[in-house]
Amino acid sequence: MKKLIFAAMMLLFASSAMAQIPSVKVENGKGKVVNTSSLVDGKTPMIISFWAVTCKPCIQELDAINEVLPDWLDVADFRVVAVSTDDSRFTAQARALAEGHGWGDFTLLYDKNGDFKRAMNVQYTPQVYVVDKNGKIVYSHTGYTQGGENELFKVIKGLK
Amino acid sequence: MKRTLSTLLLALVSTASLWAQGDQEKGYFVGSFESNSIIYAEDNVTNAQKPEGNFGTNNYLKADYYLGNFSAGLQMEAYQPALVGYPTNLAGARLTNYYLAWSDGNFGVTAGTYYDQFGSGLLFRTYEDRTLGMNTAMLGARVTYHYKDIVALKALWGAPRLGMEAAPETQVRGLDGSLSLASLLGMEGTTLSVEGSLLNRFEPVSPIVEELGGSASTMGYSARLNAGHGGFLLKAEYVDAGSKIYSNPNILIDGKSNLIKNGNAQLVEMSYSGGGLGVNVTARRLEWMDSKVSYGSSELNNSLNYIPAMCAQYSYAITNLNPYIPQPGTTSGHINSGEIGGQVDVYYNFRRGSALGGKRGMKVNFNFSTYYNLKEEGSFVPKTLLWRNVNVGVEKFLTRKFKMQLLYSMQEYNHSHGVGKGTWLSNMVVADLLYKYTPTFSTRMELAYLTTFEDQKDWMAGLFEVNFAPSWSIFASDMFNHGDTKIHYYNFGFSYTAGRTRAAFSYGRNRAGMVCSGGVCRLMPAYTGGNITISTSF
Repeated sequence: MKKLIFAAMMLLFASSAMAQIPSVKVENGKGKVVNTSSLVDGKTPMIISFWAVTCKPCIQELDAINEVLPDWLDVADFRVVAVSTDDSRFTAQARALAEGHGWGDFTLLYDKNGDFKRAMNVQYTPQVYVVDKNGKIVYSHTGYTQGGENELFKVIKGLK
Repeated sequence: MKRTLSTLLLALVSTASLWAQGDQEKGYFVGSFESNSIIYAEDNVTNAQKPEGNFGTNNYLKADYYLGNFSAGLQMEAYQPALVGYPTNLAGARLTNYYLAWSDGNFGVTAGTYYDQFGSGLLFRTYEDRTLGMNTAMLGARVTYHYKDIVALKALWGAPRLGMEAAPETQVRGLDGSLSLASLLGMEGTTLSVEGSLLNRFEPVSPIVEELGGSASTMGYSARLNAGHGGFLLKAEYVDAGSKIYSNPNILIDGKSNLIKNGNAQLVEMSYSGGGLGVNVTARRLEWMDSKVSYGSSELNNSLNYIPAMCAQYSYAITNLNPYIPQPGTTSGHINSGEIGGQVDVYYNFRRGSALGGKRGMKVNFNFSTYYNLKEEGSFVPKTLLWRNVNVGVEKFLTRKFKMQLLYSMQEYNHSHGVGKGTWLSNMVVADLLYKYTPTFSTRMELAYLTTFEDQKDWMAGLFEVNFAPSWSIFASDMFNHGDTKIHYYNFGFSYTAGRTRAAFSYGRNRAGMVCSGGVCRLMPAYTGGNITISTSF
């Protein structure tokens, strides 16, 4: 039985297209429920970063991106989406942290029930994706080492 | 039930696959694999635990398939055997989770395993946390319905997972609804919603428990209010968790084997964010709020709700020696009906160019939290101090290449969890220094000191990390208890990342203590050994 199911999944894998942004419900910065598929606007690519208040490298990475964002935006047009994977108890703390870290230029989303995280198969944070204007995932990376943010910019620049 | 679901799943997945090959619209597949193994070594200094075979490994394979409105997925887990300190009900290999779901913008149906929660999870939450060995996914069915932004409804039924499979005798049914008054009345820039949940939990109980007033079927409910305007948010929740069955420690005195208690909780959360300032104030009271998947198990993953510690979350080892463990009510050892307390969290960003911000800005944060047990059952009056924490942190780029973070923390911890009044008071300082030599080469150093007159007295800790972005990171650290035991808890290792694959190796000595994730902690025995972690997603 298990083997059969596994075989079926492998069959699907073989016939699959490139992964894209799933359609699940999350909260936005104002506490309103929005669908993740609405992130795709057909015009600009985006960096999607999954973070949590207890994940130090996540915060370092988003701070690093925030630091260089004005310079990057001079070169390419794109958006940064920071998805807090904190559950409902830490959402308020996550909001406070995002404000106190000056992440006002990011699109802030709160994935309280972990639906977005599970649909994207995020196991470890930080997990960061570069998604093209049509919602196709073109790059992703797990973990953060200082300076790693430059890779993201390289991919964004290549998406002309 | 499970066999039927598996067959159904297989049939639908195969159909979907054929459809995908013939159709213009192609489905897509995502998956992940994680393996965490430890080779245990002998260590008489720390009394390190060493399992038979000196080896433990936890493995997870997850795969999901999406096609239009359909999705299907599965998860396999293998514990060969489980790592030391994990719940003992995790053993062997099994297809643990599988589901099939359909959803358009408004309707959604899930059959198989799923995760869900009502409100903040005080009444009901099923979730996965691999750090804790927690996976309480429901096996059953769920239906959701959204009407515009105004109404959200959810109905679910199933058996929550305990260990490797669904609990055989527990059934959970739930209803959850949310009405957005702001959307209904077309209020712009404001959120206002009322929410409510009902939860029925069924598990057969013995005639003796029934005689004492316990029941196989219990009802719980939760009522909630969410309001927001401008940068302000307010959340309030009241929970009546229904009747709970606890073992009676005084059985020899009053002859009753069990105590029947009514669970209830109150939660208020207020936050403000704007102009670089983020403030969050939380107050919470819990009474008899422990909720179990099954009465028969005392494992940590036997949990049907979510009671995290609501206090500062630290990422430095020395500040996590004695983390706060919430007291939702217990009768084991002593009778304590619950806790009351709260926290204040402040984050502020001094902008670039401001007097304190300087050229590169400065971030500060502050947390105060305190918790007490209840004076008596039903009371809102605090009695014995369980926990108090004050911390201040500063983060600043001193030059373009040099970033400094400083943290001061004071923690007062009641080591008997309220049985006695005795507390351990400790003061901690941490300096976290990052230097970027080139855009891809950097080093980071952590220096920490803890001072206290109690328990094992003073500790010191240091860490040195060398990073070659984006792939390599190498570290060595030591935490030394020079106040009492003179034991060095050393660790060293490296990690390598290539795209979505990460491999890490470390070797060292780990102290017995709490391993926490998301405010929930599990007790970890001391161990020494080599740890290999591999994770990838595709």
